[in-house]
Parts: sequence; structure tokens; C-alpha cells
Amino acid sequence: MSNERGRHVIPGEVITSGNYRSEQNTFMEGDKIISTVIGLSDIRDDGVRVIPLTGGYIPKDDDLVIGKVVSHSAMSWLVNINSCYDGMLPASDVFGRDFSSHSDDLTSKLDTGDLIAARIVNSDRTRDPLLTISGRELGKIDSGELMHISPSKVPRLIGKRGSMIQMIENATNANITIGQNGLLIITADDSNGLIKAINAIQLIEEKAHVANLTDKINEMLESKSE
Amino acid sequence: MGGRDTNIVLLDENGIRSDGRKVNETRKVTIKAGVLKNANGSAYIEFGDNKILVGVYGPRDVHPKHMSDTSTGILRCRYHMTPFSVGDRKNPAPSRREIEISKVIKEALLPAVILKGFPRTAVDVYMEVLQADGGTRCAALTGASVALADAGIPMRDLVAGCAAGKAADTVILDVNNEEDQAGQADLPIGYMPNLEKITLLQLDGLLTPEEYKECLEIGIDGCKQVYEIQKKALQEKYFSTGDDKNG
Amino acid sequence: MASSVIIDSLKKAHILELLADGKRLDGRSLEQTRELSIDVGVIPKAEGSARVRLGDTEVVAGVKVKPEKPFPDTGDQGMLICTAEILPIAHPTAETGPPTPDVVELARVTDRGIRESKMLDMKQLVLEKDKSVIGVFCDNAVTDHDGNLFDVCSYATTAALISCKLPKYEMQDDLPVKIENETIDPPITTIPISVTMARIGDNILVDPNMDEWSCLDARITITTNSDGNVVALQKGGPGGFTYDQLIKCAEISIQVGSKIREIMKEATKGSN
Repeated sequence: MSNERGRHVIPGEVITSGNYRSEQNTFMEGDKIISTVIGLSDIRDDGVRVIPLTGGYIPKDDDLVIGKVVSHSAMSWLVNINSCYDGMLPASDVFGRDFSSHSDDLTSKLDTGDLIAARIVNSDRTRDPLLTISGRELGKIDSGELMHISPSKVPRLIGKRGSMIQMIENATNANITIGQNGLLIITADDSNGLIKAINAIQLIEEKAHVANLTDKINEMLESKSE
Repeated sequence: MGGRDTNIVLLDENGIRSDGRKVNETRKVTIKAGVLKNANGSAYIEFGDNKILVGVYGPRDVHPKHMSDTSTGILRCRYHMTPFSVGDRKNPAPSRREIEISKVIKEALLPAVILKGFPRTAVDVYMEVLQADGGTRCAALTGASVALADAGIPMRDLVAGCAAGKAADTVILDVNNEEDQAGQADLPIGYMPNLEKITLLQLDGLLTPEEYKECLEIGIDGCKQVYEIQKKALQEKYFSTGDDKNG
Repeated sequence: MASSVIIDSLKKAHILELLADGKRLDGRSLEQTRELSIDVGVIPKAEGSARVRLGDTEVVAGVKVKPEKPFPDTGDQGMLICTAEILPIAHPTAETGPPTPDVVELARVTDRGIRESKMLDMKQLVLEKDKSVIGVFCDNAVTDHDGNLFDVCSYATTAALISCKLPKYEMQDDLPVKIENETIDPPITTIPISVTMARIGDNILVDPNMDEWSCLDARITITTNSDGNVVALQKGGPGGFTYDQLIKCAEISIQVGSKIREIMKEATKGSN
């Protein structure tokens, strides 16, 4: 059974048949393994999956996400994390275990519209995913440029062991925080660097499925601007 | 429905229909995926003179909450005609016909979509008919499948729609508005081409058992032709690199 | 209100920062509209139609015509009714069901702008006084919503009406009968153009997009006709305008309006 990747598939297309395991974004019909989404098929060690080119973000434990506070109750904030489920950030995560809804005012720390970098703590689909902002590099975001890309393109943006994103950061002197949910924050001192970083990210989103993308991005970053 | 007296020649002595087609020919179909900015998935389809715009939102929160299902996502469909889409201006409020078609299309898509992975959410499919010319439900269903795939909703297969029918005592493929008004039967079909299952089927008119069989065969073939256009629309959006022909 | 539409604090801060320098997030100047495209005849089976795109906002308008009994107090005039609907495909918060106050306001402002400008000479749309007149319906369907629906619906209606072909009717035995294959050009007297402006702090912005709409203090839509006269006004939003601001808005609407009128003429050229 050979490994194979990168065949274009759409929902309903048969990827292969025989002694294979059906993994993400596929299902079995008889002995055929069929794609359920638009994407690139990936056969590895007898397992068949499809890397999707569409679709929203599905919360997973430990993912770093960028979220936007949309409302709050007495005990928690509701956070839009660009997913079909809104995240919940308990007040105790910010105020500590002695949190008291009488004396501690939630809006003093986070208000509607505020952006946060958070981690998913418990994503069980029977209830809203739980978030935390206590941790290194987590918390309220006060500055920077917010960008949206399709969550399915995030792995391509990060690259193998972070190679793609590091290449962009080095070439533009920008700091880029990538949420697995497709939201990113870019901070750069130099506006040229900022624009270059934004352009590079947009190019990756457009051409995520193209081969030799790394070369194209490199070219773009090295060209002198203006 | 049913042989209204008209001046139109539905089928001439050479087997050519009123719009120049042969009996087993569909009208021209074009589909473009991803045409709206706000919708999660979308498609614009022209099926003959039918012009339909489909937008999909979801999976997303369900309001009111009691309508949601804790074990799976739900599918909601709305087929709607704009007032200017038909000969006599249509009142914008949903008619009973639109409500029935919405349900029939939903049940044509349900076998295809996989929503178990999104409990407590809904996937909303909105089909807007901008111009109608017979066979809108098949065209809307066709566009809806493309929009759902564009939105990333997991599906077992796409669903392609095409109608077969009878006019001038002959079984024909893809009935247009004129043929629907003056003809003898209209059989809309929705078909999952890879799983080979029919998920939408209705009949308006009279068919002998032999004609029924012929209509199904010719209709399924029509659906397969429409499926190729759906595939092309998705491949064009997702797999073409823009700098070479082979995508 | 879907959680996706609340504007985030970074973006709002950016918008305000840029305004202090007279700039906008998408690079436009304060008095610049987004890219406008007007296509007529997009629904060939309707008597008239237009699709208008202003930035990412898109509206399709269709004109349908049929004989009607006139209103009792205006037996010497035809009928004109304009409507507007935000289709549920247009925005995550757009709902199906009875129209919300926002949508009702949109429909009524669109209708008023066209009607009060007297763009169609209604006296020429009479088949038989007090008995039968021509009824013209223009329905706007918003297909994509990125702010400023007032202007886009107004442009779509105007373009659809200018380019429509009215069926010809003849009275036979007291009933209006359509004459096949014959049409009349609509009696157009003027070209109304609406311009919507938002006030954010002390700044007046023309053609606010959805982001700017979410942080405006007040807004005003001013419609002018081909003579540069003001034919309709609508103020909205939670805040107010000073007298000076309102004078400035009127001046802007005349200037910007005349530029857009040229685009409208070009797009409907050759139709009527």
C-alpha cells in the first residue's frame, strides 16, 4: 500500500478502495473510501484522510485561538472564536478562584468587542468550548492588525515546523500570532513590513494548494518594495 | 398542467422541440461557486433561463434554542422566488408552493449531508429564484449542493437535479416552462451520482409504466450531465492555479 | 444579533485613529464612494431590471408592470410601488419572516426617494381616467450586505426604471388588453440620486461600509434630482447633527450625486 498525497477531491468522489482505514473527512461505502469535503487526499500507512480546503474552525483541546468578546453573564464571558460554537471564558480564569459576582465587575477586565488570545481547555461538543487566558502569550490584545484567513489554510501558513511563518516574520520584522481558528494578529513597527506580511499571508491563502508555494513567497518577500 | 391548447409546436416532425433541442438534451447549465461575500458558501446557477442564487450559512447557532438537536446539527432550507422572477409579479410572502418545494429540497439534501459532528447547530440553505423558466426546483437543488460543498459542510455525495417529462406523447429531458404549461407530464428528479440514489422525485401528469421507466432513465442521465457541471464549478474555484489550464 | 457582527475594539480604534488624519480603513478619502457598477437587463423576462454593486454590497432590482385600478383620489395617475427586502443570503443576521423596522425603513425610504422626485411622469401612465392605469412595481432584493443599502437600492431602482420597457395596452370593451411585441419607453423626467453619509465624531463619511456603519454616531441619506434640488431626506442613527453639518451634507450630496448621475446615465445609455 503506497503513500500518496495531493489528489484533488470533492464530496462523493472515491479516493481508493481496498484494505484502508477511513480517517478525517472520509467515509466507507463497501470497500470504497469516499471524500466528504473539497480538498486534497492523503494516504499514509493504510489510513486515508482528506485535507480540507473549505469549512469553518472546529475547536480542539489546546488550540491557540484569537477570539472576540461578544457578551457576558454574571459568571463568564461569551467569546466568538470564528466557529459554529462560541467559546466560554469563566470569570474565575481572570479574577481567580475567589471571584465573587457581587464585588468583581467583569467589564473592568474585558468588555464587548475586546480581542483575546486564548487556549481551548475543554472542547466536548455537548456544550460550548471552555477557554483560558492565563498562560504565556495569552490575554487581552491591545494592538496590532487583525486578519482573517480560512482555518483550513492555517497549517500551510505555519509550514513544516513553523518554517513558512518564520520566513515571513524574519523578512518583515513583524510578529505574527496565529490562531488555529483562522484569526491572526500582526504587529510590526514598520508599516512596509506590515503591508508585506499582509500580502504574503493573502497570497498563501489564495494559493495554498499550489506546489512550490514556498518559492513564490520567498520571491515576493525578497523583492524590494516601492 | 395537461395539454393546454397553445400555438406552440412542442415537437416538430424532425424531433426538434420548441426551443431547438432534441428530446434527450438538457438546456445550457452554468454554475459559479463562491459568489457572495457574506455567506459561508454560495453558488449562482443558470439552468436554461432559470437564474438562481444560493447562499449557505452554518453550521451556526440555532434560535430559538428549543429547535436545536443535542445529538446532531439540523438542516433548514428555504426556496423563495423574488417578485420579479415570474410573468405575473409574485407577492414576496412565501406561498404554499414555495413551502412545499422547500421541504422537498431539504429531504433531497438530508441523505447527502453529514451533520452528526455539529450537535446543537443548524445549516441554513437559502435558494433565491431571480428568474424562473420551468424546472426551478431541480436547478435550486443543484445550486444548493454546490453551495453546501463550498461552505465545507461534509457530504456523502453531491445531489444533482434534472427533470424528465412528456410532451406530444414523447418522453423528453429537462422540461422548460412552455413545455410544462402545455405538456403532459413533469417528473423532477434529484440524484446522488456516486452513491446512485434518488433523493427527490415528484410527478405532475400521467405516465404509463413504460413511460415512467423511460423518464427515470433519461432523467438520471440528465442528472449525471448536470453533476459534471457541478464538479467543474467546484474545481474551477478550488483547484485552478490560474496560471495553467490543467488546474 | 449574531456574534460575528460585533465590531472588534482594534478595528474600531483603527477607524477612529485614521479619521483623525482624514483617512479610512479601506484607503478611501472621506468623500469617496466605493467602486460602483450598474448592469441593466439582468433579468430579461422582467419588464426592467438592474444589478448594482457598491463595494461588496449588491442589490438586484426587478420591474414588473400590469394594469391596475387607480387609487380613488388619483384617477389621472399611474401607480408606482417600490419595495425592498434583505434576502437571508445577504448577511448572517438577515432573518426570514416579517420585515424588521430596519427593513421597513429601507423599503419606505427607497420608495419615497423615487416617488417624490417624480422621476416617472405618472400622468402619462393612464389607460382610462378613473378606471384603468398602469401599475409599476419595483422590487429590490439585497443579495450581499456590506453597508449602505439605502444608496444601492436607490441606484438599482433608478437604473431598472430608466431602462425598463413598458408593455403597450389598449382599452377594448372597457378592459385593458396587452398588445404583444409592442413596448413603450418609460416617461422619465429626472434622475434621482441618493447619497448616504455617516457622522463619526466630527467627520462626515460618504458611503459608509458595514464597519463604519457599526461605529457611526448618526447618518443621513439625501436624494437630489437632475436639477440639483433636494427631493428626499432621512436621518438615522443614535446621535444628532449640527446645523453646519447638515449644510455640509447637502453640499456633498449634490457634488457626489452629480458624479454618480453620470455613471447612471452611462450605464443606462441606449436603453431609453
